[in-house]
Amino acid sequence: MAKADLTAAVARLEQATSTPELVQATRSLASLRDPDAAETLIKVLGFNNPAVASVASEGLIRLGRSIVPRLLVSMDARNYGARAWVVKVLATLHDPRGLDLLEHALKADIAPSVRRAATRGLAELEVNEEDTDSIRRCCESLLLAGRDDEWVVRYAAAFGLEQRLRNTTVPDSMVHQALTLLGQLASSSESVKVVRLRAQLALQLLNAP
Amino acid sequence: MAVTEPLNETQVIANLGQTTDPSAQYYAAWWLGKMRSRHPKAIPLLLQTLKALEQQPVDPERRGVALNAIRALGKLKSPMALTPLCELLNSTDYSVREEAARSLGKLQDPAAVEGIRRLLQSGISDAGGEQSGSALLREPCEALIEALGDIGLSSAETLDTILPFVQHPRPLIRAAACRALLQLTGESSWGIQLTEMLNHPEALVRRGALLDLGATGWTSAGPAISAAAVEPSLKLVALRGLAEQSEDPEVLKAMDALI
Repeated sequence: MAKADLTAAVARLEQATSTPELVQATRSLASLRDPDAAETLIKVLGFNNPAVASVASEGLIRLGRSIVPRLLVSMDARNYGARAWVVKVLATLHDPRGLDLLEHALKADIAPSVRRAATRGLAELEVNEEDTDSIRRCCESLLLAGRDDEWVVRYAAAFGLEQRLRNTTVPDSMVHQALTLLGQLASSSESVKVVRLRAQLALQLLNAP
Repeated sequence: MAVTEPLNETQVIANLGQTTDPSAQYYAAWWLGKMRSRHPKAIPLLLQTLKALEQQPVDPERRGVALNAIRALGKLKSPMALTPLCELLNSTDYSVREEAARSLGKLQDPAAVEGIRRLLQSGISDAGGEQSGSALLREPCEALIEALGDIGLSSAETLDTILPFVQHPRPLIRAAACRALLQLTGESSWGIQLTEMLNHPEALVRRGALLDLGATGWTSAGPAISAAAVEPSLKLVALRGLAEQSEDPEVLKAMDALI
């Protein structure tokens, strides 16, 4: 029975100490594709071990949107590394139920890695074309990300605005604001070169003047 | 958004100029560097704080302010800082020599090369040997070697000085040497050696090698950086280095995948 496999895999993970053992145990747990493994995989995201977290996050992404409700209650206030991974998984699933969490993470999280991952989520979140309120909220958050203090969040905003404008019907006033912001990020008023390069690429791909 | 309130530059300059509250000076020195301040008083005031290092004994709080000022002077890349920073390479304080070397690397003025090289010339067993009773080496070798690479003036003397450190027992020193030699010679064998260090069992070494590869701008390292067992935030920092030096859109694509 599958649940015996799950119990055994969780036990193996609990006994693992070295990184190769942890990676192996996480991989076998993820390979069960059992939604009940989600809780343990989410716990693994908090081990502060990028090799292991990367395997766990891939496993969670494979479990699909059924795990979204659990992800929504898994933000660990004391561990920003873990929060960044949770947001990344949520962002990759593109589930519209993630909107509140992503919006809040971008506005309020102290960790740039969390705000960066949230920006990507808001860029790629699946929104219904008729749901103009959600589209507006995603766009407004991306505009906020473009004015973040951290270069990596502004970089993510340049990427995100490009994605939104390419893939969603956005109200004209938002398009105008997005292009203005991309223009600023592409100009010498932006101090970080890689942000300028990414914003220039975005404008080029959007065929903007 | 970050939680800090935007600070007023005039206030920060005033905080650095006063001497009764060293913690306000400490923060002000950091702020001016972080914000790349162009205020006309920024450089003179930062240089002024270095005077505390000449006193005997050095006041520990004012030493902290001076160390932050050294870092800020590097970030601001002011030519006026060149001579004072070169003089600090002669300090008896290890951390002062280390931070001065890092900032001189950022200034990228070839005039600093000789002073930096002199500290390394005694080689891996002397300059690169351990201080007794401490985990520190006798000289801040990593910072010194990286500065030579960042300044980028290649000469036979500089290469000969760095080369022995490729055999140093500490992996982070070896990584610094490979990084500098790649920057100075462009020979990919040094990049390959650094790339191999991305598989090192210690996370600290993997992170160091990753950031070193990013600093070189050697775009062949892109796929190995993306695949390394290191936090995505550090991979993005390393790839930023490659992107800014090469302007290669492929590197931007690799960064997009890591956001």
